[in-house]
Amino acid sequence: MKRLWQIRELSTVVILVIEVIFFTWWLWPEAGRTHPFLNADNALLILKYSSIYAIAAIGAAIVIISGGIDLAPGAVMALTGVIGADLYVAHGWSLAGSMMAAIAVGLASGVVSAVLIVAARLPPFIATLGMMGIARGAAFIITEGQYFDVSSRLLGGWRPFGLPADWVAPVVMVVLALLFQVLMTAFQWGRSVFSVGGNETAALFSGIAVNRVKLSVYAIAGLTAGISGVVLVLVQGQGKADLANGYELDIIASAVVGGASLSGGRGSVIGAVLGTLIFGVLRNALPQIPGATFYDRLIVGVVVIVIVVMDQLLLKKRG
Amino acid sequence: MRRFVVFLAAVAIAACSGGSTQQASSTPAAGQRLRFAVIPKSLDIPVFNYAKIGADRKARELGNVDILWNAPTNADQLKQKEILESYITQRVDGIAISALNGDFLTDTINRAMAAGIPVVTWDSDAPKSNRIAFYGVDDLASGRIMGEQAIKLLNGKGKVAIITSVGATNLQRRLDGVKEALAKAPGIEIVETFDIKEDVVRTAEIMSTGTRRYPDLGAWLSVGGWPVFTRNATASVDPSKTKVISFDTIQPALDLLREGKVTVLLGQKYFGWGSEPVQILYDYKHGKKPTTPIIDSGVDVVTKDNVDEYEAQFKKMASGG
Repeated sequence: MKRLWQIRELSTVVILVIEVIFFTWWLWPEAGRTHPFLNADNALLILKYSSIYAIAAIGAAIVIISGGIDLAPGAVMALTGVIGADLYVAHGWSLAGSMMAAIAVGLASGVVSAVLIVAARLPPFIATLGMMGIARGAAFIITEGQYFDVSSRLLGGWRPFGLPADWVAPVVMVVLALLFQVLMTAFQWGRSVFSVGGNETAALFSGIAVNRVKLSVYAIAGLTAGISGVVLVLVQGQGKADLANGYELDIIASAVVGGASLSGGRGSVIGAVLGTLIFGVLRNALPQIPGATFYDRLIVGVVVIVIVVMDQLLLKKRG
Repeated sequence: MRRFVVFLAAVAIAACSGGSTQQASSTPAAGQRLRFAVIPKSLDIPVFNYAKIGADRKARELGNVDILWNAPTNADQLKQKEILESYITQRVDGIAISALNGDFLTDTINRAMAAGIPVVTWDSDAPKSNRIAFYGVDDLASGRIMGEQAIKLLNGKGKVAIITSVGATNLQRRLDGVKEALAKAPGIEIVETFDIKEDVVRTAEIMSTGTRRYPDLGAWLSVGGWPVFTRNATASVDPSKTKVISFDTIQPALDLLREGKVTVLLGQKYFGWGSEPVQILYDYKHGKKPTTPIIDSGVDVVTKDNVDEYEAQFKKMASGG
């Protein structure tokens, strides 16, 4: 039995709970009205919009744990979204076919970054910065500043696997989060990712195929960004080249808030997903407070710092 | 090394002489093609593509005009300034620009004018600059029209929520206009002004949470077209209780209007943004100055009653006719 404060995700969960309690109290409605924040529909809404970030954050957390960084997810999300929407709207592909093709493009972008990092020995920052430009640029070339209106072709009654459409994104998020959490904690591959991030030289000498591990983490990051891009298009109803602009920083911040260390070797997939929920709750609740909509960027910045400081203090206690 | 210096000197002389000959001839010689740079706010705003169609059509009509269409890929003020400066050093024959931040570009626009390159602003003005003219909607007036439409729809009483994106000058002026008009109807209460922070994905979530928070909301007013560019944004709104009034008329906006999801749309003169400034620049190069510096394009108020007529006209223009 672990001591409570030894659980990595603890500070993230604590903040999330504090947030929910605070907004529940602050937004308490007049008698006889439903709570504008604390209700099932709103919870689903938060999960739906957070999943856009969270799915990509799964890959980003794994990259960060391996000691790397991925700056491309925002741009890759836009590109895969645009490709999926283009194939679906303009080329008459089936929804499943066009979205699978889009995800494949995401995976391919991750593989290209990985090859640049492993074979060409580029620093991850540079390789993924380049990929960010390439992906965003390709998205603009495809749309020429226009957008593909997916929402008009996906009119009512769309129930994938018998689920209401709003459930799709959260379900995909939960399934992927659990899958990768297990892969990272219960499998040799996951332990190798932690080793490479903790001390690459030691990992190499202990017989870990460092390059293969690195290839896999960037490929996964591309894959999850691709899935995020598809989710984005379905949620927004548009494929547009400037969507998800700057999301890479929110995604990295979510992973860090969820306990990942930018120097590698530490972090968790579940933590990163919880991190996106912290931001998701803020994005959802702050606009409901009259006048607060202009403050939320500042508040988000403060929250990032508070959580990371809290995490550092707990880490000292653990150590 | 010496050869390099000689080369540099040669380039410099060539550049100076090339520049001075161009500057000297303010009216174009017969047969000379005119190169007009047209700079929208960014390449990622869909309505600007219609401005491009308008500019290209006008260039074809005039015959000897080439359009150089360029802008930052997203709304980046510094990049737009860089593009503007590059057109000055490239000595184009005229510049038509929709300023992301008019005050920030004032000096650069004045520099272009001083270098003999006429500048026309469109869509979003730089009022303190020496530009020869501005063509576009009077944002304050169009905001007032939006506010008046809301008052009319709600019979002068009810709650409204406004959607904007803080930062752009023209959106701020529209917002001011909306608030000014609504202030005249004491029965109307603005419950909140939401900022989508230049991220369109936030629109749907804000409309969904806002609709839940204010169940008796009479109308959503949006000073940009974000709620009508996708069907998902207005999905949570019940049109029998809450009306949606939005700027912009690009699909699926017109279909949403027909279906009753949206009640009023305000359309701008998207094609005119491109064609009119090119005409003004062309006239200016031929010695004809605009009679007034501010040319108000007006807005199209589109409702269920005139949507078919509007769309037919729009399609004709979009096909370049």
